[in-house]
Amino acid sequence: MPTILETAQAAGAFGTLLAAVDAAGLREALEGPGPFTVFAPIDAAFAALPPGTVQTLVDNPPQLARILKYHVIAGAYHQAQLVEQQNWPSLEGDPIPVRCPNPLEIKNATVVTADVVCSNGVVHVIDRVILPG
Amino acid sequence: MTTTTAAAGTKTPLIPPSTHPYADVIHRLEAGGSMLPDTPENLQQIIGIYKAYAVPMDFYWRDLLYIAERVFLNPLPAFKYFISQEYLDLPNSYAGDQASLRIWRGGEKAHPELLEFMAKGETRAMPKLLHHLWHDRVNMEFAEACMQAMFWHQGMGGRFNDYLASEVYRANADRAIKAYFKGNLVMLGLYKLFPEMFIEKVRQLSYTANLGLFWEVMAPVFFEMSDLYDEGQLTSVPQAMDFLVNGIFAVAGRPIYHHAYIGGECFEIIPKSEGFTWLYEAALPYVEAVFYRTSPFRGTKSYNAQADQVPANQADFHYGILYADVFPVGSAGIPPTLLMQDMLHFLPPYLQELYKQHRRGEEDQLIQLGITFQRSMYNVTSAVIQALRCALLYPLDDTNPEHLKANRSFFEAQMDRFLRPEARLSDIQTQDYR
Repeated sequence: MPTILETAQAAGAFGTLLAAVDAAGLREALEGPGPFTVFAPIDAAFAALPPGTVQTLVDNPPQLARILKYHVIAGAYHQAQLVEQQNWPSLEGDPIPVRCPNPLEIKNATVVTADVVCSNGVVHVIDRVILPG
Repeated sequence: MTTTTAAAGTKTPLIPPSTHPYADVIHRLEAGGSMLPDTPENLQQIIGIYKAYAVPMDFYWRDLLYIAERVFLNPLPAFKYFISQEYLDLPNSYAGDQASLRIWRGGEKAHPELLEFMAKGETRAMPKLLHHLWHDRVNMEFAEACMQAMFWHQGMGGRFNDYLASEVYRANADRAIKAYFKGNLVMLGLYKLFPEMFIEKVRQLSYTANLGLFWEVMAPVFFEMSDLYDEGQLTSVPQAMDFLVNGIFAVAGRPIYHHAYIGGECFEIIPKSEGFTWLYEAALPYVEAVFYRTSPFRGTKSYNAQADQVPANQADFHYGILYADVFPVGSAGIPPTLLMQDMLHFLPPYLQELYKQHRRGEEDQLIQLGITFQRSMYNVTSAVIQALRCALLYPLDDTNPEHLKANRSFFEAQMDRFLRPEARLSDIQTQDYR
Protein backbone atom coordinates (compact mmCIF):
# COMPACT_ATOMS: atom_id res chain seq x y z
CA MET A 1 0.00 0.00 0.00
CA PRO A 2 1.41 3.45 -0.85
CA THR A 3 2.39 5.97 1.82
CA ILE A 4 0.56 9.26 2.39
CA LEU A 5 2.93 11.18 0.14
CA GLU A 6 2.94 8.50 -2.56
CA THR A 7 -0.86 8.57 -2.55
CA ALA A 8 -0.87 12.35 -2.87
CA GLN A 9 1.65 12.19 -5.71
CA ALA A 10 -0.41 9.62 -7.60
CA ALA A 11 -3.64 11.59 -7.19
CA GLY A 12 -2.23 14.49 -9.22
CA ALA A 13 -4.15 17.18 -7.33
CA PHE A 14 -1.65 17.99 -4.59
CA GLY A 15 1.28 19.51 -6.44
CA THR A 16 1.41 22.59 -4.23
CA LEU A 17 1.08 20.60 -1.03
CA LEU A 18 3.90 18.26 -2.02
CA ALA A 19 6.13 21.15 -3.03
CA ALA A 20 5.38 22.79 0.31
CA VAL A 21 6.17 19.58 2.21
CA ASP A 22 9.55 19.47 0.48
CA ALA A 23 10.24 23.17 1.04
CA ALA A 24 9.40 22.78 4.73
CA GLY A 25 11.68 19.75 5.08
CA LEU A 26 8.83 17.51 6.21
CA ARG A 27 9.11 14.79 3.58
CA GLU A 28 11.15 12.45 5.73
CA ALA A 29 8.79 12.82 8.68
CA LEU A 30 5.69 12.19 6.56
CA GLU A 31 7.31 9.15 4.92
CA GLY A 32 7.89 7.70 8.36
CA PRO A 33 5.78 5.00 9.97
CA GLY A 34 3.50 7.54 11.68
CA PRO A 35 0.66 6.81 11.67
CA PHE A 36 -0.69 10.23 10.74
CA THR A 37 -4.01 11.74 9.85
CA VAL A 38 -3.40 14.33 7.17
CA PHE A 39 -5.91 16.92 6.01
CA ALA A 40 -4.61 17.50 2.49
CA PRO A 41 -5.62 20.74 0.74
CA ILE A 42 -6.04 20.44 -3.01
CA ASP A 43 -4.10 22.71 -5.35
CA ALA A 44 -7.12 24.97 -5.78
CA ALA A 45 -7.12 25.61 -2.02
CA PHE A 46 -3.59 27.05 -2.17
CA ALA A 47 -4.41 28.97 -5.34
CA ALA A 48 -7.34 30.63 -3.56
CA LEU A 49 -5.01 32.29 -1.05
CA PRO A 50 -4.17 35.91 -1.90
CA PRO A 51 -1.10 36.45 -4.12
CA GLY A 52 2.20 36.10 -2.34
CA THR A 53 0.89 34.12 0.64
CA VAL A 54 2.27 30.77 -0.44
CA GLN A 55 5.50 32.28 -1.79
CA THR A 56 6.30 34.00 1.52
CA LEU A 57 5.74 30.71 3.33
CA VAL A 58 7.80 28.68 0.83
CA ASP A 59 10.64 31.19 1.30
CA ASN A 60 10.55 30.58 5.05
CA PRO A 61 10.60 26.84 5.81
CA PRO A 62 10.06 27.00 9.60
CA GLN A 63 6.98 29.18 9.17
CA LEU A 64 5.72 26.96 6.36
CA ALA A 65 6.28 23.85 8.49
CA ARG A 66 4.10 25.36 11.19
CA ILE A 67 1.18 25.82 8.81
CA LEU A 68 1.63 22.35 7.33
CA LYS A 69 1.86 20.72 10.77
CA TYR A 70 -1.49 22.30 11.55
CA HIS A 71 -2.91 19.91 8.92
CA VAL A 72 -1.60 16.77 10.68
CA ILE A 73 -2.82 14.78 13.67
CA ALA A 74 -0.72 12.06 15.28
CA GLY A 75 -2.58 8.77 14.85
CA ALA A 76 -4.79 7.41 12.08
CA TYR A 77 -8.42 8.54 12.37
CA HIS A 78 -11.24 7.86 10.01
CA GLN A 79 -14.25 10.12 9.63
CA ALA A 80 -16.33 8.05 12.04
CA GLN A 81 -13.70 8.54 14.74
CA LEU A 82 -13.05 12.20 14.00
CA VAL A 83 -16.66 13.19 14.58
CA GLU A 84 -16.59 11.74 18.09
CA GLN A 85 -14.50 14.64 19.37
CA GLN A 86 -14.99 18.39 19.02
CA ASN A 87 -11.29 19.23 18.79
CA TRP A 88 -8.21 17.33 17.74
CA PRO A 89 -4.63 18.28 18.67
CA SER A 90 -2.61 19.15 15.59
CA LEU A 91 1.14 18.55 15.39
CA GLU A 92 1.48 22.33 15.31
CA GLY A 93 -0.05 22.60 18.76
CA ASP A 94 -3.27 24.47 18.04
CA PRO A 95 -6.46 22.39 18.09
CA ILE A 96 -8.32 21.48 14.89
CA PRO A 97 -12.09 21.78 15.49
CA VAL A 98 -14.64 19.47 13.87
CA ARG A 99 -17.40 21.95 12.98
CA CYS A 100 -19.83 19.62 11.23
CA PRO A 101 -20.04 15.83 11.08
CA ASN A 102 -21.85 15.50 7.77
CA PRO A 103 -20.61 16.80 5.45
CA LEU A 104 -17.43 16.53 7.47
CA GLU A 105 -16.06 20.02 8.09
CA ILE A 106 -12.66 20.54 9.67
CA LYS A 107 -12.36 24.14 10.84
CA ASN A 108 -13.50 26.18 7.82
CA ALA A 109 -12.67 23.46 5.28
CA THR A 110 -14.99 20.82 3.88
CA VAL A 111 -13.66 17.30 3.51
CA VAL A 112 -14.34 16.44 -0.15
CA THR A 113 -12.96 12.91 0.09
CA ALA A 114 -12.58 11.17 3.43
CA ASP A 115 -10.80 8.04 4.60
CA VAL A 116 -8.11 7.59 1.95
CA VAL A 117 -6.17 4.81 3.67
CA CYS A 118 -2.40 4.71 3.26
CA SER A 119 0.34 2.53 4.68
CA ASN A 120 1.27 5.14 7.28
CA GLY A 121 -2.05 6.80 8.00
CA VAL A 122 -5.22 8.28 6.61
CA VAL A 123 -5.73 11.23 4.28
CA HIS A 124 -8.82 13.40 4.17
CA VAL A 125 -8.93 15.72 1.17
CA ILE A 126 -10.00 19.27 2.02
CA ASP A 127 -10.98 22.26 -0.11
CA ARG A 128 -9.25 25.02 1.88
CA VAL A 129 -5.94 25.61 3.60
CA ILE A 130 -6.71 25.70 7.32
CA LEU A 131 -4.91 28.14 9.62
CA PRO A 132 -4.38 28.22 13.37
CA GLY A 133 -6.18 30.77 15.50
CA MET B 1 -9.78 35.49 -2.24
CA THR B 2 -8.31 38.69 -3.65
CA THR B 3 -11.46 40.67 -2.91
CA THR B 4 -13.95 40.38 -0.14
CA THR B 5 -16.99 41.49 -2.13
CA ALA B 6 -20.10 39.40 -1.76
CA ALA B 7 -22.73 38.63 -4.39
CA ALA B 8 -25.01 41.58 -5.25
CA GLY B 9 -28.02 41.66 -2.96
CA THR B 10 -31.02 41.32 -5.25
CA LYS B 11 -31.87 37.81 -4.01
CA THR B 12 -33.48 36.99 -0.68
CA PRO B 13 -30.74 36.91 1.98
CA LEU B 14 -29.95 33.44 3.26
CA ILE B 15 -30.00 34.59 6.88
CA PRO B 16 -32.22 37.22 8.51
CA PRO B 17 -30.76 40.67 9.23
CA SER B 18 -28.68 41.20 12.34
CA THR B 19 -30.34 42.80 15.37
CA HIS B 20 -27.08 44.01 16.84
CA PRO B 21 -26.88 47.72 17.73
CA TYR B 22 -24.26 48.00 15.00
CA ALA B 23 -26.34 46.00 12.49
CA ASP B 24 -25.73 48.52 9.70
CA VAL B 25 -21.98 48.19 10.10
CA ILE B 26 -22.24 44.40 10.29
CA HIS B 27 -24.26 44.24 7.08
CA ARG B 28 -21.66 46.45 5.44
CA LEU B 29 -18.88 44.09 6.57
CA GLU B 30 -20.90 41.14 5.27
CA ALA B 31 -21.11 42.89 1.91
CA GLY B 32 -17.32 43.20 1.78
CA GLY B 33 -17.08 46.69 3.20
CA SER B 34 -15.25 48.39 6.01
CA MET B 35 -16.39 49.75 9.38
CA LEU B 36 -15.66 53.12 7.77
CA PRO B 37 -18.37 54.21 5.31
CA ASP B 38 -17.39 54.32 1.65
CA THR B 39 -17.30 58.00 0.71
CA PRO B 40 -14.83 59.89 -1.49
CA GLU B 41 -13.83 62.09 1.42
CA ASN B 42 -13.23 59.12 3.72
CA LEU B 43 -11.02 57.58 1.07
CA GLN B 44 -9.11 60.82 0.62
CA GLN B 45 -8.65 61.24 4.35
CA ILE B 46 -7.42 57.73 5.06
CA ILE B 47 -5.06 57.49 2.09
CA GLY B 48 -3.55 60.87 2.86
CA ILE B 49 -2.98 59.98 6.49
CA TYR B 50 -1.58 56.54 5.59
CA LYS B 51 1.07 58.34 3.59
CA ALA B 52 1.70 60.86 6.38
CA TYR B 53 2.04 57.95 8.84
CA ALA B 54 4.31 55.89 6.60
CA VAL B 55 7.08 58.50 6.42
CA PRO B 56 7.84 58.62 10.18
CA MET B 57 7.13 54.89 10.28
CA ASP B 58 10.01 54.48 7.87
CA PHE B 59 12.19 55.90 10.65
CA TYR B 60 10.45 54.00 13.45
CA TRP B 61 11.04 50.53 11.99
CA ARG B 62 14.66 51.23 11.16
CA ASP B 63 15.50 52.70 14.55
CA LEU B 64 13.59 49.99 16.41
CA LEU B 65 15.76 47.38 14.71
CA TYR B 66 18.84 49.51 15.38
CA ILE B 67 17.96 49.61 19.08
CA ALA B 68 17.10 45.90 19.30
CA GLU B 69 20.08 44.67 17.30
CA ARG B 70 22.89 47.15 17.95
CA VAL B 71 22.20 49.47 20.86
CA PHE B 72 21.00 46.37 22.70
CA LEU B 73 21.90 46.55 26.41
CA ASN B 74 23.77 49.84 26.41
CA PRO B 75 23.06 51.03 29.98
CA LEU B 76 23.15 54.68 28.91
CA PRO B 77 21.56 54.69 25.46
CA ALA B 78 21.55 58.45 25.08
CA PHE B 79 22.08 58.13 21.34
CA LYS B 80 19.64 55.34 20.56
CA TYR B 81 17.68 57.68 18.28
CA PHE B 82 20.86 58.60 16.42
CA ILE B 83 20.34 55.85 13.91
CA SER B 84 23.44 54.57 12.11
CA GLN B 85 23.80 55.12 8.38
CA GLU B 86 23.71 51.34 7.94
CA TYR B 87 20.23 51.12 9.43
CA LEU B 88 19.02 54.26 7.69
CA ASP B 89 20.10 52.58 4.44
CA LEU B 90 18.79 49.16 5.42
CA PRO B 91 16.86 47.91 2.38
CA ASN B 92 13.19 47.48 3.14
CA SER B 93 12.45 43.83 2.34
CA TYR B 94 9.22 44.79 0.59
CA ALA B 95 10.32 47.71 -1.57
CA GLY B 96 12.95 48.32 -4.21
CA ASP B 97 14.29 46.13 -6.99
CA GLN B 98 15.90 43.67 -4.61
CA ALA B 99 12.64 42.72 -2.85
CA SER B 100 11.51 39.14 -3.45
CA LEU B 101 7.96 40.21 -2.58
CA ARG B 102 7.70 43.80 -3.72
CA ILE B 103 4.80 45.64 -2.12
CA TRP B 104 5.87 49.20 -2.97
CA ARG B 105 7.16 50.14 -6.39
CA GLY B 106 9.31 52.79 -4.73
CA GLY B 107 12.86 52.41 -3.46
CA GLU B 108 14.11 50.31 -0.59
CA LYS B 109 16.00 53.02 1.30
CA ALA B 110 14.67 55.71 3.62
CA HIS B 111 11.93 57.87 2.10
CA PRO B 112 13.25 61.15 0.63
CA GLU B 113 10.78 63.21 2.67
CA LEU B 114 12.08 61.55 5.82
CA LEU B 115 15.67 62.36 4.93
CA GLU B 116 14.73 65.95 4.20
CA PHE B 117 12.96 66.29 7.53
CA MET B 118 15.85 64.68 9.40
CA ALA B 119 18.16 67.27 7.88
CA LYS B 120 16.03 70.37 8.55
CA GLY B 121 13.21 69.54 10.94
CA GLU B 122 10.68 72.35 11.46
CA THR B 123 13.52 74.82 11.97
CA ARG B 124 16.56 74.58 9.73
CA ALA B 125 19.65 72.50 9.08
CA MET B 126 21.75 72.20 12.20
CA PRO B 127 23.85 69.54 13.94
CA LYS B 128 21.89 66.39 14.80
CA LEU B 129 22.48 66.84 18.51
CA LEU B 130 20.79 70.25 18.47
CA HIS B 131 17.81 68.88 16.54
CA HIS B 132 17.58 66.09 19.08
CA LEU B 133 17.78 68.32 22.16
CA TRP B 134 15.32 70.83 20.66
CA HIS B 135 13.05 67.86 19.96
CA ASP B 136 12.82 68.97 16.38
CA ARG B 137 12.94 65.43 15.03
CA VAL B 138 10.89 62.32 14.46
CA ASN B 139 9.18 61.45 17.73
CA MET B 140 10.66 58.04 18.24
CA GLU B 141 9.18 58.03 21.74
CA PHE B 142 5.84 57.18 20.12
CA ALA B 143 7.31 54.01 18.62
CA GLU B 144 8.77 52.99 21.96
CA ALA B 145 5.42 53.63 23.63
CA CYS B 146 3.80 51.21 21.17
CA MET B 147 6.49 48.68 22.00
CA GLN B 148 5.83 49.21 25.72
CA ALA B 149 2.12 48.56 25.16
CA MET B 150 2.89 45.23 23.48
CA PHE B 151 5.47 44.35 26.13
CA TRP B 152 3.27 45.20 29.09
CA HIS B 153 0.09 43.55 27.80
CA GLN B 154 2.18 40.46 26.97
CA GLY B 155 0.05 37.54 25.84
CA MET B 156 -1.98 39.10 23.06
CA GLY B 157 -2.02 35.92 21.02
CA GLY B 158 0.65 33.89 19.23
CA ARG B 159 3.58 32.11 20.79
CA PHE B 160 6.01 34.97 21.16
CA ASN B 161 5.40 35.80 24.80
CA ASP B 162 5.48 32.17 25.93
CA TYR B 163 8.81 31.76 24.20
CA LEU B 164 10.23 34.73 26.10
CA ALA B 165 9.49 32.84 29.33
CA SER B 166 11.18 29.64 28.10
CA GLU B 167 14.53 28.18 29.12
CA VAL B 168 15.68 28.22 25.50
CA TYR B 169 15.16 31.98 25.32
CA ARG B 170 16.82 32.48 28.67
CA ALA B 171 19.88 30.55 27.47
CA ASN B 172 20.01 32.59 24.24
CA ALA B 173 19.66 35.85 26.15
CA ASP B 174 22.30 34.75 28.67
CA ARG B 175 24.81 34.15 25.87
CA ALA B 176 24.13 37.56 24.39
CA ILE B 177 24.28 39.38 27.74
CA LYS B 178 27.63 37.81 28.62
CA ALA B 179 29.01 38.59 25.17
CA TYR B 180 27.80 42.18 25.31
CA PHE B 181 29.37 42.86 28.69
CA LYS B 182 32.46 40.75 28.10
CA GLY B 183 35.30 42.22 30.11
CA ASN B 184 32.97 44.58 32.00
CA LEU B 185 33.22 43.26 35.54
CA VAL B 186 30.77 45.79 36.97
CA MET B 187 27.94 44.90 34.57
CA LEU B 188 28.68 41.19 34.73
CA GLY B 189 28.60 41.48 38.51
CA LEU B 190 25.25 43.27 38.34
CA TYR B 191 23.99 40.52 36.04
CA LYS B 192 24.99 37.92 38.62
CA LEU B 193 23.16 39.86 41.33
CA PHE B 194 20.07 40.75 39.28
CA PRO B 195 19.80 38.28 36.41
CA GLU B 196 16.04 38.75 35.97
CA MET B 197 16.46 42.47 35.39
CA PHE B 198 18.81 41.83 32.48
CA ILE B 199 16.68 39.05 30.97
CA GLU B 200 13.63 41.31 31.21
CA LYS B 201 15.51 44.05 29.41
CA VAL B 202 16.37 41.59 26.63
CA ARG B 203 12.68 40.63 26.44
CA GLN B 204 11.83 44.29 25.98
CA LEU B 205 14.40 44.46 23.18
CA SER B 206 12.81 41.39 21.58
CA TYR B 207 9.50 43.21 21.50
CA THR B 208 11.37 46.17 20.01
CA ALA B 209 12.59 43.93 17.18
CA ASN B 210 9.08 42.48 16.79
CA LEU B 211 7.55 45.92 16.30
CA GLY B 212 10.33 46.97 13.93
CA LEU B 213 9.73 43.94 11.73
CA PHE B 214 5.96 44.58 11.83
CA TRP B 215 6.25 48.19 10.71
CA GLU B 216 8.86 47.35 8.06
CA VAL B 217 5.93 45.77 6.21
CA MET B 218 3.32 48.44 6.92
CA ALA B 219 5.38 51.35 5.61
CA PRO B 220 5.59 50.08 1.99
CA VAL B 221 1.93 48.98 2.16
CA PHE B 222 0.86 52.53 2.99
CA PHE B 223 3.24 54.09 0.45
CA GLU B 224 1.87 51.87 -2.30
CA MET B 225 -1.72 52.69 -1.35
CA SER B 226 -0.91 56.39 -1.55
CA ASP B 227 0.68 55.96 -4.98
CA LEU B 228 -2.25 53.90 -6.26
CA TYR B 229 -4.67 56.59 -5.05
CA ASP B 230 -2.65 59.33 -6.74
CA GLU B 231 -2.75 57.28 -9.96
CA GLY B 232 -6.54 56.89 -9.70
CA GLN B 233 -6.33 53.15 -9.12
CA LEU B 234 -7.73 53.12 -5.59
CA THR B 235 -11.23 54.50 -5.81
CA SER B 236 -13.16 53.23 -2.80
CA VAL B 237 -12.76 52.53 0.90
CA PRO B 238 -13.52 48.78 0.44
CA GLN B 239 -10.83 48.66 -2.25
CA ALA B 240 -8.36 50.26 0.15
CA MET B 241 -9.39 47.74 2.79
CA ASP B 242 -8.97 44.85 0.33
CA PHE B 243 -5.46 46.03 -0.48
CA LEU B 244 -4.68 45.76 3.22
CA VAL B 245 -6.31 42.32 3.46
CA ASN B 246 -4.24 41.03 0.55
CA GLY B 247 -1.12 42.57 2.10
CA ILE B 248 -1.84 40.91 5.43
CA PHE B 249 -2.06 37.51 3.77
CA ALA B 250 0.94 38.04 1.51
CA VAL B 251 3.24 38.83 4.41
CA ALA B 252 1.55 36.64 7.02
CA GLY B 253 4.36 34.09 6.92
CA ARG B 254 7.21 36.57 7.30
CA PRO B 255 9.53 35.35 10.11
CA ILE B 256 9.65 37.30 13.36
CA TYR B 257 13.03 37.04 15.02
CA HIS B 258 15.51 38.92 17.20
CA HIS B 259 19.16 38.93 16.19
CA ALA B 260 21.70 41.00 18.14
CA TYR B 261 25.06 41.93 16.65
CA ILE B 262 27.74 41.97 19.32
CA GLY B 263 31.42 42.27 18.54
CA GLY B 264 30.83 41.46 14.88
CA GLU B 265 28.97 38.25 15.71
CA CYS B 266 25.26 37.57 15.25
CA PHE B 267 23.49 36.24 18.33
CA GLU B 268 20.16 34.63 17.47
CA ILE B 269 18.20 35.47 20.59
CA ILE B 270 15.03 34.48 18.75
CA PRO B 271 16.05 32.46 15.69
CA LYS B 272 13.88 32.37 12.56
CA SER B 273 13.79 28.60 12.99
CA GLU B 274 11.35 28.99 15.91
CA GLY B 275 8.71 29.58 13.26
CA PHE B 276 7.26 32.85 14.56
CA THR B 277 5.20 34.65 11.95
CA TRP B 278 4.35 38.26 11.15
CA LEU B 279 0.61 37.59 11.35
CA TYR B 280 0.35 35.60 14.56
CA GLU B 281 3.29 36.94 16.58
CA ALA B 282 3.42 40.57 15.44
CA ALA B 283 0.36 41.97 13.64
CA LEU B 284 -2.45 40.45 15.71
CA PRO B 285 -0.76 41.14 19.08
CA TYR B 286 0.02 44.67 17.91
CA VAL B 287 -3.58 45.39 16.95
CA GLU B 288 -4.87 44.09 20.26
CA ALA B 289 -2.27 45.80 22.44
CA VAL B 290 -2.07 49.12 20.58
CA PHE B 291 -5.33 49.72 18.68
CA TYR B 292 -7.60 48.45 21.42
CA ARG B 293 -5.88 48.46 24.80
CA THR B 294 -2.69 50.54 25.16
CA SER B 295 -2.61 52.24 28.54
CA PRO B 296 -4.03 55.45 29.99
CA PHE B 297 -1.74 58.31 29.12
CA ARG B 298 -0.15 60.12 32.01
CA GLY B 299 -2.08 63.25 32.77
CA THR B 300 -5.38 61.93 31.41
CA LYS B 301 -6.31 59.44 34.15
CA SER B 302 -5.33 59.12 37.77
CA TYR B 303 -3.09 56.16 38.41
CA ASN B 304 -4.17 56.20 42.06
CA ALA B 305 -5.82 52.81 42.58
CA GLN B 306 -8.31 54.32 45.04
CA ALA B 307 -9.50 56.70 42.35
CA ASP B 308 -10.74 53.70 40.31
CA GLN B 309 -10.12 55.47 37.04
CA VAL B 310 -8.05 52.68 35.52
CA PRO B 311 -9.74 49.25 35.14
CA ALA B 312 -8.45 46.48 37.37
CA ASN B 313 -8.87 44.06 34.49
CA GLN B 314 -6.33 44.50 31.70
CA ALA B 315 -8.80 43.21 29.14
CA ASP B 316 -10.96 46.26 29.87
CA PHE B 317 -8.27 48.71 28.85
CA HIS B 318 -9.71 50.93 26.15
CA TYR B 319 -7.09 53.55 25.43
CA GLY B 320 -6.12 52.65 21.89
CA ILE B 321 -6.92 54.77 18.85
CA LEU B 322 -10.26 53.01 18.35
CA TYR B 323 -11.49 54.52 21.62
CA ALA B 324 -9.54 57.75 21.66
CA ASP B 325 -10.92 61.15 22.41
CA VAL B 326 -8.61 62.84 19.98
CA PHE B 327 -8.75 66.27 21.52
CA PRO B 328 -5.45 66.29 23.35
CA VAL B 329 -5.31 67.40 26.94
CA GLY B 330 -2.16 69.32 26.38
CA SER B 331 0.20 67.22 28.45
CA ALA B 332 3.45 67.20 26.58
CA GLY B 333 4.63 63.87 25.34
CA ILE B 334 1.45 61.84 25.25
CA PRO B 335 2.27 59.22 22.63
CA PRO B 336 -0.65 59.94 20.29
CA THR B 337 0.14 63.65 20.18
CA LEU B 338 3.72 62.75 19.33
CA LEU B 339 2.47 60.77 16.36
CA MET B 340 0.08 63.53 15.37
CA GLN B 341 2.97 66.00 15.26
CA ASP B 342 4.99 63.53 13.18
CA MET B 343 2.13 63.10 10.70
CA LEU B 344 1.60 66.85 10.49
CA HIS B 345 5.03 67.15 8.89
CA PHE B 346 4.17 64.86 5.99
CA LEU B 347 0.55 65.62 5.13
CA PRO B 348 -0.12 65.53 1.40
CA PRO B 349 -1.33 68.88 -0.01
CA TYR B 350 -4.91 67.66 -0.47
CA LEU B 351 -5.22 66.98 3.26
CA GLN B 352 -3.68 70.32 4.21
CA GLU B 353 -6.30 71.92 1.97
CA LEU B 354 -9.11 69.85 3.46
CA TYR B 355 -8.25 70.84 7.02
CA LYS B 356 -8.07 74.53 6.12
CA GLN B 357 -11.71 74.34 5.00
CA HIS B 358 -13.13 72.96 8.24
CA ARG B 359 -13.40 73.74 11.93
CA ARG B 360 -10.57 76.08 12.92
CA GLY B 361 -8.49 75.53 9.81
CA GLU B 362 -4.79 75.45 10.48
CA GLU B 363 -5.31 76.15 14.18
CA ASP B 364 -6.75 72.75 14.91
CA GLN B 365 -5.31 70.67 12.10
CA LEU B 366 -3.67 68.42 14.68
CA ILE B 367 -7.13 67.45 15.95
CA GLN B 368 -8.52 67.10 12.45
CA LEU B 369 -5.66 64.88 11.34
CA GLY B 370 -5.94 62.91 14.57
CA ILE B 371 -9.55 62.13 13.78
CA THR B 372 -8.59 61.29 10.21
CA PHE B 373 -6.03 58.92 11.67
CA GLN B 374 -8.73 57.36 13.80
CA ARG B 375 -10.89 56.77 10.71
CA SER B 376 -7.90 55.23 8.95
CA MET B 377 -7.17 52.86 11.80
CA TYR B 378 -10.80 51.74 11.86
CA ASN B 379 -10.22 50.83 8.22
CA VAL B 380 -7.04 48.92 9.08
CA THR B 381 -8.92 47.12 11.87
CA SER B 382 -11.66 46.28 9.36
CA ALA B 383 -9.00 44.73 7.15
CA VAL B 384 -7.73 42.66 10.06
CA ILE B 385 -11.28 41.56 10.87
CA GLN B 386 -11.96 40.63 7.24
CA ALA B 387 -8.60 38.83 6.99
CA LEU B 388 -9.40 36.81 10.11
CA ARG B 389 -12.84 36.00 8.72
CA CYS B 390 -11.19 34.92 5.46
CA ALA B 391 -8.58 32.78 7.22
CA LEU B 392 -10.71 31.16 9.91
CA LEU B 393 -14.28 31.31 8.64
CA TYR B 394 -16.11 31.48 5.36
CA PRO B 395 -16.33 33.50 2.15
CA LEU B 396 -18.83 36.34 2.18
CA ASP B 397 -20.70 34.77 -0.75
CA ASP B 398 -20.93 31.35 0.86
CA THR B 399 -24.30 29.73 0.12
CA ASN B 400 -24.45 27.68 3.32
CA PRO B 401 -26.60 29.55 5.88
CA GLU B 402 -24.72 27.89 8.74
CA HIS B 403 -21.47 29.31 7.43
CA LEU B 404 -23.02 32.76 7.07
CA LYS B 405 -24.31 32.53 10.63
CA ALA B 406 -20.79 31.71 11.79
CA ASN B 407 -19.47 34.77 9.94
CA ARG B 408 -22.28 36.84 11.48
CA SER B 409 -21.39 35.67 15.02
CA PHE B 410 -17.81 36.60 14.41
CA PHE B 411 -18.65 40.09 13.15
CA GLU B 412 -21.08 40.65 16.01
CA ALA B 413 -18.47 39.61 18.57
CA GLN B 414 -16.05 42.09 17.02
CA MET B 415 -18.66 44.84 17.14
CA ASP B 416 -19.43 44.01 20.80
CA ARG B 417 -16.03 45.48 21.59
CA PHE B 418 -17.26 48.86 20.35
CA LEU B 419 -20.41 48.98 22.47
CA ARG B 420 -18.68 50.79 25.30
CA PRO B 421 -19.30 54.58 25.26
CA GLU B 422 -15.67 55.51 24.55
CA ALA B 423 -15.66 53.71 21.20
CA ARG B 424 -15.71 55.95 18.16
CA LEU B 425 -17.38 53.55 15.74
CA SER B 426 -20.62 55.58 15.73
CA ASP B 427 -18.77 58.87 15.31
CA ILE B 428 -16.90 57.76 12.20
CA GLN B 429 -20.20 56.93 10.46
CA THR B 430 -20.75 60.66 9.85
CA GLN B 431 -18.53 62.98 7.88
CA ASP B 432 -19.14 65.78 10.38
CA TYR B 433 -16.94 64.13 13.01
CA ARG B 434 -13.76 66.17 12.58
